[in-house]
Amino acid sequence: MDEFQEILQDFLVESFELVEKLDEDLVELENTPEDLELLNGIFRVAHTVKGASSFLNFDILTHLTHHMEDVLNKARHGELIITPDIMDVVLESIDLMKALLNTIRDTSADAGIDVAECVIKLDKISGGDGDVPTPVATTPAPEPVVEEVVAVESVPEEEEDEPDYDNMDPDELEAEIEKLLSQRQEEDRAKREAKIEAGETVLSAPEIEEEIEQATPASTPPVAAPVTTPVPVQKTPVAPKQAKKEEPKGDAKAAAPTKRAPAAVEQTIRVDVKRLDHLMNLIGELVLAKNRLIKINDDVEERYEGEEFLEELNQVVSIVSLVTTDLQIAVMKTRMLPIGKVFNKFPRMIRDLTRELNKKIELEISGEDTELDKSIVEEIGDPLVHIIRNSCDHGVEIPEIRVAAGKPETGTITLKAYNEGNQIVIQIDDDGKGLDADMLKDKAMEKGLITEKEADSMSEKEAFLLIMKPGFSTAASVTNVSGRGVGMDVVKTNIDKVNGIIDVESKQGEGTSMKLKIPLTLAIIQALLVGVQEEYYAIPLASVLETVRISRDEIYTVEGRSVMRLRDDVLSLVHIGDIFEVERILDASEHAYVVVLGLGTSKLGLIVDTLVGQEEIVIKSLGDYLKGIEGIAGATIRGDGGVTLIVDVVALMEMAKGVKAMAMIDNSAGDAVSNEKNKASDYTVMIVDDSKTDRMIMRKALEPMGVTLIEASDGQEALSVLKQGEHNFDCMLVDIEMPRMDGYTLATEIKKYNKYKNLPLIAVTSRTGKSDRMRGVESGMVEYITKPYSADYLSSVVQRNVNFKAEFL
Amino acid sequence: MGDKLKQIINQQGEQHNTATLDQSDDIVQLVGFIIGEEEYAVPILAIQEIIKPFTWTRVPQVPPYILGVFNLRGSVIPLIDLRVKFGLQSKNHNEDTRFFVLKQDDEVAGFVIDKLTAAIRIKKENIGPAPDTISGNDTMIDGVGKQEDRIITILKVDKLLERDF
Repeated sequence: MDEFQEILQDFLVESFELVEKLDEDLVELENTPEDLELLNGIFRVAHTVKGASSFLNFDILTHLTHHMEDVLNKARHGELIITPDIMDVVLESIDLMKALLNTIRDTSADAGIDVAECVIKLDKISGGDGDVPTPVATTPAPEPVVEEVVAVESVPEEEEDEPDYDNMDPDELEAEIEKLLSQRQEEDRAKREAKIEAGETVLSAPEIEEEIEQATPASTPPVAAPVTTPVPVQKTPVAPKQAKKEEPKGDAKAAAPTKRAPAAVEQTIRVDVKRLDHLMNLIGELVLAKNRLIKINDDVEERYEGEEFLEELNQVVSIVSLVTTDLQIAVMKTRMLPIGKVFNKFPRMIRDLTRELNKKIELEISGEDTELDKSIVEEIGDPLVHIIRNSCDHGVEIPEIRVAAGKPETGTITLKAYNEGNQIVIQIDDDGKGLDADMLKDKAMEKGLITEKEADSMSEKEAFLLIMKPGFSTAASVTNVSGRGVGMDVVKTNIDKVNGIIDVESKQGEGTSMKLKIPLTLAIIQALLVGVQEEYYAIPLASVLETVRISRDEIYTVEGRSVMRLRDDVLSLVHIGDIFEVERILDASEHAYVVVLGLGTSKLGLIVDTLVGQEEIVIKSLGDYLKGIEGIAGATIRGDGGVTLIVDVVALMEMAKGVKAMAMIDNSAGDAVSNEKNKASDYTVMIVDDSKTDRMIMRKALEPMGVTLIEASDGQEALSVLKQGEHNFDCMLVDIEMPRMDGYTLATEIKKYNKYKNLPLIAVTSRTGKSDRMRGVESGMVEYITKPYSADYLSSVVQRNVNFKAEFL
Repeated sequence: MGDKLKQIINQQGEQHNTATLDQSDDIVQLVGFIIGEEEYAVPILAIQEIIKPFTWTRVPQVPPYILGVFNLRGSVIPLIDLRVKFGLQSKNHNEDTRFFVLKQDDEVAGFVIDKLTAAIRIKKENIGPAPDTISGNDTMIDGVGKQEDRIITILKVDKLLERDF
């Protein structure tokens, strides 16, 4: 059973591939009915599917493909000219075939689809020549019959030679087979040549060719032969799988005799998509590790400036980061599919639509080799269908109107794909009547989608985008093709899903051009990291137009909204803290940064406290528990192992409309704690040093004063003690050299807090260099004590800085 | 002599039997922990791991009991404060605080608990249903386990992992 499943899988994969190609070929065939190569190709597909399905006992499918084959065979011999009407039937049968294949995929059986009607039509075309339509279920698979004939034919030959195969050892048997084979080939060739001389067409030339080239056991009679040939000599049939595997190869090779020279057979293997996804995940982890390594390298560089091993470390880090980037690109490429896979189905669609709508439309496709991530290719199929249907139905006019307007009778829709930077652009142009902005606005107002005020302030481009609104349709009546107001909405949702952008341009009377800009891959993106208070957020760089540094007085308030002037435009502003409910602990500085976000034609200025930089981030989902949080698209893991949330720009722009108040302006400066000091222990001093001995020495020096002493063993601990706010510190003694967070960093961090702006920080260190002192001053230290020091000196410095009242001494 | 031997063998056999009984389905294995004043427990098989607290990232627009998300070896996992969820005041994490990472099917989440107590083996017959007043489909309580000197509230893992906002 397992083996059967395996064969079935192979069969399905192969068949779907073949069928996909088929549609395209058939439409082309209609234009050039005499193209024998095409016909042969199509015939082969039907034939291959028939052969394999009969082997797998899918009787209905076999029955259907058999009759298709009859028709195509006639056409191939010139006994039948493919007219559009015949094509309709053939296409219908192919649709049925697809449906059957889908059923087989889902249920492993081909029951439930009625092909009888289609078979009768096919029969009519082939002149009733084929099998008399028999009840579907009982149709005998034609293949076994042929196989029997083959077997019977072979038997006499064996008897002529009379070798005792049963008693031969394998080598001898091999030799015997070889001998028989060459003998048969000779015979076959002779027969064929004779036939060709006689002017007969050799029906099964491809198959025979294949048999010879592959040196499979002989006994192929020069009749329409099945590819699955039993091997009478060995008295066991060829292992089914092997036999089937040969078919695709056979097809490729079989094409050789005809003119359609196939490109050198590509060396490919099929890989389960899950494995690729797993690989992509691992690469994601690697990218994160790389980011972390780079960060550590920077830290080490700062710390051990001028050390020799640094250069070596630098080299290793850059090699690792280079290789990781290459690896990432390589793996990304394995997931890429040519967009042609999606484009292929459109010629057929246009053909059907033109017949349905009585229009004349030509489709021009270019750039089908452009590659996109598999998951994106799957997502854009539907949107493109809707866009093209829309273009056919609403865009291109009926021939009479076109001629009256002085345009060629046949309308043209161009579909092209190309790379543009880090994006793929899919452009759909039509030369139809174009969009009428005013009409669109009227319709939208009529349907209550926008208000009159909104309509007035709407630019032409914004009006074009109205067609993407759910429930919007300009069609006067609902047709089979469009008018339900669903289609273009699907386009917007799907494109949003893959972080893409839609751009619509149109000129009335000349046509419409739609551009879908889609990122190359979903998993790893470039992002701008911004900071607000103590939090960080990642903004997809694709939506960032620019960043500007502004001072507070450049922000104006209009109707309760904050705006700023950006060159000639007025940009509405929103603080990221207002959107994400960030608590304001840190002091708001004089300057702020504005990240200008752009999405289509709308713009928004997002105020942030700091810009951290650009980074490559791996998108991770927040999981089921937290999915659907407004404004958050996902999360990523940063170099330091922390989680950073990724901003959903689309949602953020929506949310910004609801945010009015600008809390950032209020400057309620946290009242500096000015507690009355009544006794010596009211003074609190923090000692930050990683050495226990050093802390002890400081404690001994300060204890006589009677002040309260709190200890912390490094910068991080000190910071968390400060944040807990259990003590009001009057002064801090800070060592410089500490693990986790050094003194300079600690000082810089502390100075960010409003509350501790005026907290005296005293460096106590053995570093005596001038540059060290300079750094101390830069980071906000008020005193610099070098070890060793006397207890009295330390005590007097502390007293001076905390304004120690003399009476407590 | 022969009788004595038989007796011993029989005895051993009996002991063996009772020993296997202990291993059978009648025993439920739980891990107990404390939130506030109460002791709770979850089935040991639902626990992916128990880790010491570390930093997490706040997530906006969620109920207060969701502290945010944290990074567990490359996966982003939500962190839920059970104190707040159970209506208590949140408190600063200390030496005893642990993150409980629970997993059921594909759902994973971390839960902050005050203190870990012990792995508990408890007979099924000693587990009573949740009190009538709080039973029903909405309750997070699976049952109440009775030990000699205390009772333990056993929580439903699927309810804990269910998003309820």
